[in-house]
Amino acid sequence: MSAERATGASGVADRVIDVALMAISFAMLTPLAFLVSNAFKTPAELLAWPPTLIPDAPTLDNLRAVIRETPLFRWIFNTIAFATLSTAAIVTTSAVAGYVLAKFRLPGFGLIFGTILATAIIPFEVYMIPLYLGVQAAGLLNTLWGLLIAYLVMSFGIFLIRQYAMTSIPDELIEAARVDGAGEWWIFLRVALPLMRGPLGALGVLAFFQAWTAFAWPLVVAAKTEAQVIEVGLALFQTGFTVELGRLSAAAAVALVPSVVFFAVMRRNFVRGVAASGMKE
Amino acid sequence: MSARDAFAPPPGPSATRRRALCAALAATLMAAPLPALAQQKLTLWSGWTELKPFYERVAAQFKKKHPDVDISVEVIALREHEKRIALAMPSGAAADIIEMQVEYGRYAEAGLLPPANAAATAFVSDPKHFDKFVQDAVSVSGKVYGVPLFRGQTVLFYNTDMFAKAGLSGPPKTMEDYTTYAEKLTQRDSAGKPTVSGWSLRLSGGGMGIAEKFWINMHQYGGAVVREKNGKWFADYANEAGRKTLKQYLDNVIVKKTVSPEMKADAEAFSLGQTAMFIRESWVIGDIAKKAPGLPYATAPLPKGSIVIPVGLYVPTKDAKKAALAWDYTLMANEPENLVWLLDNVGWLPNRKDVDYSGVIKAKPAFEAFVNYPKDHSFFTLPFITPVSEVLTRLAARLEKGYLDPALAGNDAAIDAFLKAAADETNTILKREGFYGAP
Amino acid sequence: MRSGARSGLGFALVALAPVLTIYATVRIYPIAETLRLSLHNWNIISPRKPFIGLANFEELMGDALFLEALRNTTIIAFAVLAITIPAALALAALINHRYGSRLAGFYETAIFIPHVVSLVPAALAWKWVFDAKLGPLNWLLGRFGVAAQPWLYDPVLAVICVIVLCAWQAVGYAVLILIVGMRNISPSLYEAARLDGANSWQLFRFITTPQLKPVLLYVSVVTLISSFNIYAQAFVLASDSQGAPGKLVRVLVLDMLENSFRNYRVGYAAAEAVILLAIVLVLTGAQFRLFRDRSAAS
Repeated sequence: MSAERATGASGVADRVIDVALMAISFAMLTPLAFLVSNAFKTPAELLAWPPTLIPDAPTLDNLRAVIRETPLFRWIFNTIAFATLSTAAIVTTSAVAGYVLAKFRLPGFGLIFGTILATAIIPFEVYMIPLYLGVQAAGLLNTLWGLLIAYLVMSFGIFLIRQYAMTSIPDELIEAARVDGAGEWWIFLRVALPLMRGPLGALGVLAFFQAWTAFAWPLVVAAKTEAQVIEVGLALFQTGFTVELGRLSAAAAVALVPSVVFFAVMRRNFVRGVAASGMKE
Repeated sequence: MSARDAFAPPPGPSATRRRALCAALAATLMAAPLPALAQQKLTLWSGWTELKPFYERVAAQFKKKHPDVDISVEVIALREHEKRIALAMPSGAAADIIEMQVEYGRYAEAGLLPPANAAATAFVSDPKHFDKFVQDAVSVSGKVYGVPLFRGQTVLFYNTDMFAKAGLSGPPKTMEDYTTYAEKLTQRDSAGKPTVSGWSLRLSGGGMGIAEKFWINMHQYGGAVVREKNGKWFADYANEAGRKTLKQYLDNVIVKKTVSPEMKADAEAFSLGQTAMFIRESWVIGDIAKKAPGLPYATAPLPKGSIVIPVGLYVPTKDAKKAALAWDYTLMANEPENLVWLLDNVGWLPNRKDVDYSGVIKAKPAFEAFVNYPKDHSFFTLPFITPVSEVLTRLAARLEKGYLDPALAGNDAAIDAFLKAAADETNTILKREGFYGAP
Repeated sequence: MRSGARSGLGFALVALAPVLTIYATVRIYPIAETLRLSLHNWNIISPRKPFIGLANFEELMGDALFLEALRNTTIIAFAVLAITIPAALALAALINHRYGSRLAGFYETAIFIPHVVSLVPAALAWKWVFDAKLGPLNWLLGRFGVAAQPWLYDPVLAVICVIVLCAWQAVGYAVLILIVGMRNISPSLYEAARLDGANSWQLFRFITTPQLKPVLLYVSVVTLISSFNIYAQAFVLASDSQGAPGKLVRVLVLDMLENSFRNYRVGYAAAEAVILLAIVLVLTGAQFRLFRDRSAAS
């Protein structure tokens, strides 16, 4: 069955929608267009006013300087490794906990869910100090484990999966499987997970980018430059007084490339939705 | 609806394989910790990105002397630098060499920062090398804890073309001059709105900077945000000096409109030719050379004196062998040849005085005002008491509103009440932290 | 689930145990520790942490900076919520409607990317957009005869700038979640309704929206909580790094970080966190109520 529903609505309406979405998409991208454009500007042109969207005298100096003077690719590699592991951990923990909390009603589960959600409310920076002291006591500073430890679970991830599981996995389906003698793990892995493919893909994207943009924690836990992640690496271009805007933009633009590629690849995973997941009437 | 259909799609073997692959990958990565500190590797933390080339230059020389030792220079924005120090110092996870301003005092007093070794202490204590002011700025109760490196000190930067066009032959001499000059220098559009500010004042921004600049101006009138007496501190600005300073801001912003908060400000405005003068540290010289090399400008000392923020290098490492190497590095950074390079290439002022900087000053006369100031020039620094940043941040929040308050302009009584309320708050903070002493 | 209740119980506990263990270690413990600190006076370095009861809270009630931060943060959070959710719902519906088209991928990516771009360079680009003198925004306003506004300097407009920046980042996240939610609605529901003669709007109103309720709840809770936690956005827009400082919109997390790492008052910052927790818990509870009540009514 085609993902496109043949509604019989006129093509005109679709064209109007396309124009509107196109305009909004471009509006969303405008600040980023400036960012990419800044990456190719000379220091003089960066100061020029009004700012130009297309550089008058495009230069590769910023890019070259960034690649020559900083371990940019090393940072990107570190970040990909860190983000991949964090994503795997978060998707696993969220899938399990989200499913259980959505589909099993046991006394205390409401409290557990409420507590998990409440932990998301406190900004990470606030409880970073005790967590840091814990990681330090465990001797995990400057290790991947130390970095990862704050990113093994995601309150919003459990919440997200729970919310989807409530509607996307019909209770009758689980019940029928039990009647057929299926074990609970089997039901979780073979019935629930396939139905949650879209949400899990979306969660994967969110978890990946949460790690990708992590800053406060890697800064203090992985304090060594070559062990750093991209977001902290980018911060090295700033000082209290001046910003190396050209280089900062060049580095940020390079870092955007894997982000966009990753999103495009992952997107294919979760756009199919229920129609493609094998569940039909 | 048949539930059985839902079980139909068998799990793809590829999915299982992929999962196994991921697990293997994860195991491999986990097993390999991030490169651990090698035996002979020293780490240096700094909060000024522009100093990175300097530290690396010294590191290269250090490597020649100690071929088996690597120095890793890790620089990040000052705000983040402060954060990592605050977290790492108590847990003993700080770098081997760190750069600090006045906050070294709190770590030294808490026993988290060991004093300098004999060689460094001897070097710093030698009156040939440093003024007493500088020595005190790395010491606690007479004991040396670090090696001074450079300092932030302020002068007036002024655009000589704009001065000439306004018929002004030299820099303003008194604080009263600053306002009259600013009036003459302001360029306006047909509606009378300023397009080029006569004197760029710090009117907004993030946090304590506003109060720090206020203090610099107030110092010219003899006031201080906090003043020491017998080891205790009190607010010293609800007085004539404070009133004159605030009044000058209000005069310029509200009465004479020589500057407005939405105009570009500070070094950026100066580079762009959007302000005629402003007060700032020596790094601006290097910045202008990079961004607006053709800008016609000169510098002049402030009427009475300047803030001095000394920055030094400290060695928190407990490992004796590493510490000895680290102190050696801090002394190497203070070699005359390196300090001349620092002044010439970065623009921050080195503290060591028995070094011949004349070559650089001759080539870049803008440095003149930083080193050749009048005999009676007076300096002040931010006290190294814990509540100082809170005092300045809260004062800044009040000033930011006050500068734009028309009710204060021209109303001495209102200004006095404003300052009184702010000073009371300052004293309350000092009392709470146990630093208050009545004047 | 009567027949499976027995085995279900075991499964639920076994499956949940490792997750809860991790949770307890890396979230509950440090947060509890932080909350405990709110009753103490601690400067990070001192081994002494004297217990001071509710003194931190008493002081907060009279702290002008904290109250300003609380007010700003609340305004920003609600404004971001009010902008993001309807906008994201509309965008998600439109994109979902055009899902067969080749352009859908572009729309989705364009709207999502602001969520993942490094904040500092992005915020610097926004500073240009908002620039008082010659920024594109004022230029655009000028074309409609509106006078140029000092966006980043006026206390009210500066808050609006932060709201716009946050909404710009938040909307992509919400659209992504909502589209996945829409894709997960069983097509059979639509087919049945269409057979009954429902038009597109009715499908959206009577099938999509109620089916999306749990996901909508998720998106609004997350948006509100995240907006209460903003900090870098406000800081970067006001930062003086370029010598063009804007009006600093003081928000709660910024105030907490300043108290922790600049003023070295960890206990005091923890007290702020407790107040933030209390407020957001109440608001989150209200959102749960709101969504549950409506679904009961429908």
